[in-house]
Amino acid sequence: MSVLMPQKRYYRQRAHSNPMADHTFEYPVCPEDMDWSQLYPEFYVDQTLAKGPVQVEFADIGCGYGGLLVELSPLFPNQLILGLEIRVKVSDYVQDRIRSLRAAETGGYQNIACLRSNAMKYLPNFFSKGQGLVYTNTDVEEVHLWMVKHFSEHPLFTQVPDAELVDDIIINRLGTCTEEGKKVQRTGGKNYLAVFRRVEDQN
Amino acid sequence: MAALDVCGEWLISTCDKKLIAVHTKQSREPFVFDCSTAEAKPKCTESDKSDVGGSEETSSDRILAVAVSTSGKRVALTDDTKRLVLFQCEPSWQVISTRWVVRRGTSLVFTKDENEVWMADKSGDVYSFSVVEPQKTGDLKLGHLSMLLSMTLTPDSKYVITADRDEKIRVSHLKSPYNIQAFCLGHLEFVSSLLVPPGHPHWLLSGSGDGTVKLWEYESGRRVQTWDLKQLRDMPNSENEKKSAVSRIAGSPCGRHVAVQCERLPSVQLFAVDQEGEAHLVPSSRLTLSHCPLDLTFDPEGRLWVLLDSREMPFLMYTHTGGSWTPNSVSPELKRVTEALRPHWDALQISAGLESRFQHLYKVSFDNMASYRQKKQERLQQQNEHWDKKRGPGNVQQSNGASKKAKGDKPVAQASK
Repeated sequence: MSVLMPQKRYYRQRAHSNPMADHTFEYPVCPEDMDWSQLYPEFYVDQTLAKGPVQVEFADIGCGYGGLLVELSPLFPNQLILGLEIRVKVSDYVQDRIRSLRAAETGGYQNIACLRSNAMKYLPNFFSKGQGLVYTNTDVEEVHLWMVKHFSEHPLFTQVPDAELVDDIIINRLGTCTEEGKKVQRTGGKNYLAVFRRVEDQN
Repeated sequence: MAALDVCGEWLISTCDKKLIAVHTKQSREPFVFDCSTAEAKPKCTESDKSDVGGSEETSSDRILAVAVSTSGKRVALTDDTKRLVLFQCEPSWQVISTRWVVRRGTSLVFTKDENEVWMADKSGDVYSFSVVEPQKTGDLKLGHLSMLLSMTLTPDSKYVITADRDEKIRVSHLKSPYNIQAFCLGHLEFVSSLLVPPGHPHWLLSGSGDGTVKLWEYESGRRVQTWDLKQLRDMPNSENEKKSAVSRIAGSPCGRHVAVQCERLPSVQLFAVDQEGEAHLVPSSRLTLSHCPLDLTFDPEGRLWVLLDSREMPFLMYTHTGGSWTPNSVSPELKRVTEALRPHWDALQISAGLESRFQHLYKVSFDNMASYRQKKQERLQQQNEHWDKKRGPGNVQQSNGASKKAKGDKPVAQASK
């Protein structure tokens, strides 16, 4: 039985959801208790797929309709990618979309999954401390400037200069594969990208 | 809110709007500070921008948190009217300053060097206030995304530990609080109480609305032990028992005893600290009281003082002799402080101290997904019925391989309308 692709029109929800309200979310008590096998069943059945201990290495905070997840999945086949989305309908859409993609004849997409959650509050429940990169992208200049200001002022982050990002495969896709990104392209808007690296505390 | 704190040779009882300090060793005049008669907020235009009609805002003057500095020379309190009052205690009690905070505080703690007092508030923020410059405004240090309920600083002055309503305990570097050292995750409800027990500088004890006390090695966030206080109480009808949050965890100066109080229960659970073997905390005894304790604390001599909601006998004092905790009702110190407190201790106050501080913090579960799922189920059923009718038997369901190339908006098989 093949699984039909979900139709977006049944999953429309307005863009804003109050993250301070007490929505009911399921989240593990701590990262050690999280059962990732529910989201990535093939990675946990067949350990030969993973090179080392399996863990989620990419998190798309506010993944919307899952455009970026779907785009990145074939590029990083051995790494797990998680999308977090707070909206009920939208997270459900992504879950249905991934399910139908996995069930298709061509298969794949076992390394992406979506969770409905409030990243602001519950990120520490899912993930232990990590190092790495933060990619930010927006078409609103003020938001871009705000993000750059706050990340730059934060002693634990430093901005990665454009020169270092020339070969980055994620950068080129950030502005084009998401629903928002495509809308910006259609209306002739501009994409503002900024990448930050976690650094050690100087104090 | 009610609190009992030791401040040098003074015993401080806080209840409702009053802070009352009584001397334990000498017959000195008690010091009483009543927030309802304290300095009123100056009608200042700038800081009231966010406070529409600030003077009309209902505030009760109730004391929300109290802290005593390590040396016992300074005391701070914060109330519902958003005051932060700093006191000196020696040679005599005096108000040093009254400052105004942005949001209501929930927890106060002095730094070890006593140069600052830190306050955690209801919006999740932590501010540090200078003690050396007592009029200086607060400095924002860190923030949670949920109401903070308890805060403590580690004795080596390396970390600040904060606990919130979202079951989280966060350990951050004191000098750079943006740098999170670890999270201690494990509680299933809000975390209401924290303590780094004397003599065990690497341990953290936490109490929660889930009715448990947990022991952690806070630097790594490792959970070492959990005690379910309800199980220890061993009540016959334990299912009917309302949830009781841990409202206080206190440690004796010798480091060998821990006392735990759960709100609105007339008992105190005591633990012995065992450093040999695996079990770090061992339940030692449970004291059954005639009234619910408002708060408890150990004094420098290792005696356990309990503040009760009783006019006649507001204090109980226990000493650990012969391996058990025995009440001492004849101690001259106990008599002295009881006499000194009584005139200032009235019934209205006491009942305010008994109100649950934590009952409203339990989250009400609202399942956003259930109604959505039901509607979706109905929609899918309707669609399936419709397609079956249209295509009849032997219909071939379109695969969705083709739709991967499409923008992903519509499936290949369209439900025609």
